[in-house]
Amino acid sequence: MESKASELLPGTLDLLILKVLMRGTMHGYGIAMRLKSVSEDVLQVGESSLYPALQRLLLKGWAKAEWGASENNRRARFYAITAAGRKQLGVEREEFARVVGAIQKVLETA
Amino acid sequence: MNIIRRLQYLIRNRRMEQDLAEEMDFHRAMVQKDLEASGLAPHDAALAGRRAMGASTQMREASRAVWIWPWLESVAQDVVYAARSLRRQPGFALVAIAVLACSIGLNTSLFTVYNAVALRPWSVPDPGRVVRVYGFVRNPPQGLDNYSGFSVPEYRYLAEHSKSMTGLFFTNGESGLMLEQRKANYVFVSGNFFQVLSVGMERGRGFLPDEDRAGAPEAVAVISYSVWQNRFGGDPNIIGRRVKMQDSPFVVVGVTPPDFAGTAPEVTDLWLPLASTGILYPSDSWTNRLLREANICCVDIGGRLAPGFGREQARAELSVLSREFASQSNEKSDGVELAGTALLMQPGQESRQVYAVFGTMFAGVMLVWLLACANVSNLLLARGAARRREIAVRVSLGAARPRVVRQLLTESLVLAVLAGGLGITLAWILPGPILRGAVGEVSFRLQPDTTVLAFTLGLSLLACLACGLAPALAVTGAARQRRLSLRSALLALQVCVSVILLVGAGLLVRGIQHARTEDPGFAVADTATVSIDLPANAYPIPATRAFFQTLSQSMQEVPGAQPFGWSSMEPLVNGRAFTSFRLPSESAGQAKMVLQSAVSPGFFETLRIPILAGRNFGPADSPGSVVLVNQALVNKYFPDGQGLGKTIVAGTPRQIVGIVRNAHTVDLDAVDPMIYVPLLFDIAPTLLVRNRPDVLAAVKALVGAMEPRARVSSTPLSQNLDRSLMASRIGAAIAGMLGVVALSLATIGIAGVFAYSVEQRNHEIGIRMALGARPSQLIGAVFGSAVRSLAVGLALGMVGAFLASSLLRQYLFGVSRLDAMTYFAVLVTLSLAGLAATYLPARKAAAIDPIETLRQQ
Repeated sequence: MESKASELLPGTLDLLILKVLMRGTMHGYGIAMRLKSVSEDVLQVGESSLYPALQRLLLKGWAKAEWGASENNRRARFYAITAAGRKQLGVEREEFARVVGAIQKVLETA
Repeated sequence: MNIIRRLQYLIRNRRMEQDLAEEMDFHRAMVQKDLEASGLAPHDAALAGRRAMGASTQMREASRAVWIWPWLESVAQDVVYAARSLRRQPGFALVAIAVLACSIGLNTSLFTVYNAVALRPWSVPDPGRVVRVYGFVRNPPQGLDNYSGFSVPEYRYLAEHSKSMTGLFFTNGESGLMLEQRKANYVFVSGNFFQVLSVGMERGRGFLPDEDRAGAPEAVAVISYSVWQNRFGGDPNIIGRRVKMQDSPFVVVGVTPPDFAGTAPEVTDLWLPLASTGILYPSDSWTNRLLREANICCVDIGGRLAPGFGREQARAELSVLSREFASQSNEKSDGVELAGTALLMQPGQESRQVYAVFGTMFAGVMLVWLLACANVSNLLLARGAARRREIAVRVSLGAARPRVVRQLLTESLVLAVLAGGLGITLAWILPGPILRGAVGEVSFRLQPDTTVLAFTLGLSLLACLACGLAPALAVTGAARQRRLSLRSALLALQVCVSVILLVGAGLLVRGIQHARTEDPGFAVADTATVSIDLPANAYPIPATRAFFQTLSQSMQEVPGAQPFGWSSMEPLVNGRAFTSFRLPSESAGQAKMVLQSAVSPGFFETLRIPILAGRNFGPADSPGSVVLVNQALVNKYFPDGQGLGKTIVAGTPRQIVGIVRNAHTVDLDAVDPMIYVPLLFDIAPTLLVRNRPDVLAAVKALVGAMEPRARVSSTPLSQNLDRSLMASRIGAAIAGMLGVVALSLATIGIAGVFAYSVEQRNHEIGIRMALGARPSQLIGAVFGSAVRSLAVGLALGMVGAFLASSLLRQYLFGVSRLDAMTYFAVLVTLSLAGLAATYLPARKAAAIDPIETLRQQ
């Protein structure tokens, strides 16, 4: 069972990318792979949502990008989380937990 | 923050797009590699990879959209929407743009002139390193710090010893001469002038170092490009051509390039080495002495800073050199000051006055700008009121208030930018002809440059905010009350500003009228001044004295030549001579400076200045022991009025033998205390006679018989008077123009506001009329609040005008700042304009058909 990013709650993909970037700088493909493997193939993020999301993070100043060499020595753009991004991650995690908790409550009691 | 990153994206658009494309290529390659690793054939893997990737262009678009699209699109939308809504009401748009363009054009025109005279340096290569040098003497007798040029020997000393300048050059005055029978402006310069300024020649060469020494083998000249083209038809053999100046042949050695406008405010036609002075004016002792003597002032010095030297270092070094020279030659120097080469940059009193004039004019045009903004603001506000429904719909459909404000502001931005474009066009056209009309041909460039463009752009953006922000906020806000009071305030502001401008213009016009018609205190209309130039080397002081005394005696015998008089100062040319003066009881430290003029006894009769008490100078008086004084001196220093017969110390103790009526012989401002001393004829004085052809011819004949080489020239005194009124006449013309613009703007503004209030209350008026109200009652109800703000504006404007008129004091020539005539005229004019402005809307209101309005309901 796959889940497309567009079906995630709004803003969740940004949150997930920020979390992944907490581990260190990573290129776009690496981020997609990482999301896929950590979520045990549930979250397969397509490029059509990944790159707009990355651009959004750049625009908001939560991530910054730099060109470097990939594992197999190709030129790749590496993303890193910024201080503002780290702060945002904290805020959004709390918010996410609150929403998920709320949904859970509805599903259990309603 | 966001907006900055967005703008970065816009600016580095191509880079960012490439990054994105490359990044996605990389992604696709990685996917393909993974697929291959899982066992697919390379070709299939590529296909599958591409399929997995989707339409790559579309995806790039999606990523790019994050940055640009929503934002840019909304801006473009706003602009299109604004343009469309302005086109729907072309009348409003035209008036608003015309009003703003007019005010921005005026401001930009003035700034263009200011930029040309105060900010733009000389048109020479690397102008930033070129400076002008001024000698500086602290507290000379006149009391003000005095900046001046240098004597030629001091110039030579500085040029020889200075290490901080790569070269020092000098210029000396500028004046007219006859070049091939036509008038031309020349400037005397040092031989290295063009070389120091790095001005290359279009043709020929600049001067050689030896050509500015007296006794140079041949008289040489450099002519300007335009003289070469216009007077010599671009003669290809101009170099080496002999031309006649005054009566002497000169050889043209060079032609300056077309973009070199010279270093003087007026257009310079030719440059001559100062040494040519002896050839042009063989009889002029002054310029001949100028070349040699350290106590003869002056030439203006400029130079180019040497590499590695700053202005401060150069100033310090030249100050030391100047003091060294002063101590060697018994002169006084407190060092030097350096200034840039923009026209107005020289230190001292004169440029401060010009700055004051510019300040006053800027105050005027900024008031017009403010008026225009208030005007457009009020129109926008009225228009906004009419659009309340549209805006309410937009807000109820979910438009955020800031979004609507932004959209309304975009409308005023479109207006302001269009107006700014027209304004700069005006500034391109206007200043040239106006300046030519006012002061003649000028050398400075009046084309708007980037500084002027930046000024206009800034002013337009400011106008957008000034006229758009308040209405946008008011229209989108809920409170109705505030909106009304804002409109009243704007109306009052408009009226207030136009009162200030009109009163200013009125006062200036009254001042000129007053100065023209007021008795200047002496005979101007039928008097002429005659100056007599003697060949100088032939006339040492005793000979000069003998010459003029003999001439005086001969004139006594010519019937009809009387009355005539002599004066050391030509009346109304703004020349002043001072002497120190104290009472015998006072110490030397208490001496004050008063005006002094040396005159012959006939002076008072010729100029019809009555002697109020005492007597005229007589033949028995010893010249150093008697004075006449004017009424102003008595009033100031002898408050009891008992001045006659008293002794004062002016150099030597002298007795006051007569008191004369005040006369505006120096200028048309208030008459200052003046001491008249007997004339000694040590230097050539000005002759004052009746302005009649026979008298002038008789003088010429007498002088010619005594000394054929002498030059005699005469000017009617009324010409001097006209010249001294020139500045205020230009001022009054400008102020009058601003006043007319202000009046039209205010009238348009008032009319617009009234028209809208009728429009808005259409229903109400219709219903009231249906219920039997008379049109006059309705008009009272509709216009009541507007009339109140008119009254408030008038009152505030009068106070503001009184305060502002202190700026003009110097040009009023004794007209009171509270001149009732002016204030009354302004009051009447504005009331009439107000009435005219209400006429059309009132008629419209009275013509409303009750049936029609009720049916519409």
